[in-house]
Amino acid sequence: MVIEPTRDHYEDIQLFTARGSWIKLALLLVVLVSLPLLLPGYRVFTLNYMAVFVIVGLGMNVLVGYTGQVSLGHAGFLAIGAYTMVLLMTRLAVPFPFALVMAGCVSAFFGFLLGLPALRLAGPYLAIATLGFGLAVTQIIGHSALFGGHMGLVVPDAMVGPFPLLGDVSKYYVIVGITFVLALGVRNLSVTRVGRAFRAIRDSEIAAATMGVDVAYYKTLSFAVSAALTGVAGGLLALMTGFISPGVFTFTLSLMFLAMVVFGGLSSITGAVLGSIVMGYLNLEMDAFQELPVLGPALEGFSARFMSTVGLPNFGWVVTGMLIVFTILLEPRGLHGLWIRALDTMKYSKSADAELSRSGSGAD
Amino acid sequence: MSFFAVDGLTMRFGGLTALDDVSFEVDQGMIFSIIGPNGSGKSTAFNCISGIYQPTAGKIYFEGEGISGLAPHHIARLGIARTFQNIELFSTETTIDNLMLGRHQHMHSGVWSGVAMLGRATSAAREETENRERVQWIIELLDLVQVRDRPVGELPYGTQKRVELARALAMEPKLLLVDEPSAGMNADERAEVAERMRELRAELGVTILLIEHHVQLAIGLADRVLALNFGKPIAQGAPEEIRQHPEVIKAYLGDG
Amino acid sequence: MLPQVLASGLSAGSIYALMALALVITYKTTEVPNFAQGDMAMVSAFIAYMFLTDFETGFIFAFGAALVFAFLLGVGFEGLLLRRMRKPTHLNLIIMTLGFTLALFGFAGWKWGADQRQFPFPVSANEVIRFGSVSISTLSVATILIAGILMLLVFAFFRFTKLGVAMQATQQDPIAARINGVPARAVVGLTFGISSVIGTVAALLTAPLITLDPTLMWDALLKGFAAAVLGGLNTPVGAVLGGYLLGVIENLFGAYISVEFKSVVAFLIIVIVLWFRPSGLFGRHHERKV
Repeated sequence: MVIEPTRDHYEDIQLFTARGSWIKLALLLVVLVSLPLLLPGYRVFTLNYMAVFVIVGLGMNVLVGYTGQVSLGHAGFLAIGAYTMVLLMTRLAVPFPFALVMAGCVSAFFGFLLGLPALRLAGPYLAIATLGFGLAVTQIIGHSALFGGHMGLVVPDAMVGPFPLLGDVSKYYVIVGITFVLALGVRNLSVTRVGRAFRAIRDSEIAAATMGVDVAYYKTLSFAVSAALTGVAGGLLALMTGFISPGVFTFTLSLMFLAMVVFGGLSSITGAVLGSIVMGYLNLEMDAFQELPVLGPALEGFSARFMSTVGLPNFGWVVTGMLIVFTILLEPRGLHGLWIRALDTMKYSKSADAELSRSGSGAD
Repeated sequence: MSFFAVDGLTMRFGGLTALDDVSFEVDQGMIFSIIGPNGSGKSTAFNCISGIYQPTAGKIYFEGEGISGLAPHHIARLGIARTFQNIELFSTETTIDNLMLGRHQHMHSGVWSGVAMLGRATSAAREETENRERVQWIIELLDLVQVRDRPVGELPYGTQKRVELARALAMEPKLLLVDEPSAGMNADERAEVAERMRELRAELGVTILLIEHHVQLAIGLADRVLALNFGKPIAQGAPEEIRQHPEVIKAYLGDG
Repeated sequence: MLPQVLASGLSAGSIYALMALALVITYKTTEVPNFAQGDMAMVSAFIAYMFLTDFETGFIFAFGAALVFAFLLGVGFEGLLLRRMRKPTHLNLIIMTLGFTLALFGFAGWKWGADQRQFPFPVSANEVIRFGSVSISTLSVATILIAGILMLLVFAFFRFTKLGVAMQATQQDPIAARINGVPARAVVGLTFGISSVIGTVAALLTAPLITLDPTLMWDALLKGFAAAVLGGLNTPVGAVLGGYLLGVIENLFGAYISVEFKSVVAFLIIVIVLWFRPSGLFGRHHERKV
């Protein structure tokens, strides 16, 4: 049978389908490159923090969004990545770039290990197992001298080749650059064979298996990929904060990671990026709610009357929790889902307009 | 050595015997139909063949090799594809993506090549475009051109059934298991289904193993028929024989 | 030494068993593991604290208020949030409970701050009762007794009362139950209410032991899940047994091997048990039909 290509099939997976997309990309790059030069120092720190969250969001997207497996312990992978990198740099004088790669690899290995028992576990059991994993990691780190125990570890200065990374701006370019590359990589993965296999497993494991998908392999693979991404994020987090301790990698942080992708929209990369940016910002600014323009004083007043003023930072958790609750309640597909709904309504009204104009001009 | 053979297949779930010593052979290029009332074990047989269940006893042979006990994805790679009675589509994916899943075993790109897909020339990209071209004829054959890029979850039932079939065909199987293709259809639609099956066999040379609740359809279509009741084989042979077989008639009319 | 360790094991295990029971009761009805169970109980414990310190009521009133609050919280959570979900897939339900727990955690921290408070309790953790050569704290004794009695009451409720039997029927076969006149929705709401009360009792018994702060029930929740998984998420008896077993094993581990990594035991148990029996020791796996 002779196959005549009647369409350009590459369009299906092409990243830039319209010529305008190139311009949008150029614009985005210009903005990203110039931001740290335009903003004050502490804001650049915020950007770095959000970028780290975006990488974790990509990782969560792969595991939870594509493969449909839940993880309540991703803070554990973040910790593994961070501690691997710092220990390699301090104990073995491994240069930063290589240590960062190792952070991803070691984390991927643990992801693979966690993925193995995960194969046999259904929904709630898997969630519980990952919960236990995250807690176990912080317990082990907190209790051993090797990892600095509760006191934590100081992150040594990093160099990329001959260039020292001092100050938030130079770190920004490294972190955001890596984030950009990883986002592109995850996007490519999602439109090719592996990404499709992941999503098939989420939608119907049985059908996927009968199509020739080795479900066990792909499930563990998604854990490994997700862990690798999160591990790299952990290394970058260490880089930008200069200090790591077990108190950072809490269960509530794992919940926040889950919240980001749910809020942004599971299995949508732009959704994950948006959700991560929002949640990253929220997590960082939790101590400073009183400084918000209008809301700040109102919250302070409310706190003084009905709650405790010292506990105001916890308001951030309330917001995060409520975001999850209302997202799941009203639009389970998150921000991405809202976007789709908006598009559909526009499509509908366009076709309705078309109908009207047709019936108006025709003879009947 | 026959193309496909089932020998003494038995499947027990706890105290329930779903299949009891079922045996049959299928020649290459044949349309073989399994009929029987609800609960007679037809889908269970399919699940055993495609590796979802491990048979309690008995053997299954495909092209001379034993396949009972293999994992589903191994069996798929040997060239056996199937559809499901209660549609098991990847509902959030588009039609074309469902079909591309069918191409999974014929494609190679893994994590590294997938991630590095930058531009048409990369191996992952070429693989994607080539395979999309390959399944285009299936899309046209089963009249799915309009819905190619729509998520299958929102498609009407009949269309979904065609997508399931298309997906199985995308695997380029040697043996196709079709589970109740005419469920929920009226007489005209059933005739279409029958015609389609014949077309597939004629143009692709694929061997078809068909579960059908609707006796007339099965009899009209198949070269050979096996009738089951309560997991036991009650008759096997040419369609005309089965149609007039007293046990078969009794099973369908029911005596309880 | 050994009887001592066993006693603390049983005491800790009582808490785990209560949590496990609370989790399994709602899981059996809705197939949702309620991750918010811990913080729901924690907030209820804070309510009791509020009554005891701010309003200076007696113990009975304060605890009673906390239990009533817990019941309403459970019923409310199910009726106002869980039931109204647009797309109640298993994943989404789990995420909903996680969102709720986060909001509760934040609320508690916001309202009461993260300080650790001493929780006033009629029975002290420091006084001991002697049984021969073994001294057990009065709190431990009270915990074992109260937890045990509560669990027996719960089992009796499900077994012998009309309402309880009706609830069991709904769990096993919702359609048949409804045909027989059992209001399924009310049953589910009630289940969450009862489970919340059970969890709160666990919290009230935990608070005097460790100090009261928003993280009060994290450990107990994980252990409760570990115990439930150990026993099998859909067998209440198995879950309770799992709780006691976990408490004892954990304390033996802490006494004879390493006190620092005591908590890791729970995770290891989860992994080991699930590796060999993915549905728990006594649970049964539900196969989906294709």
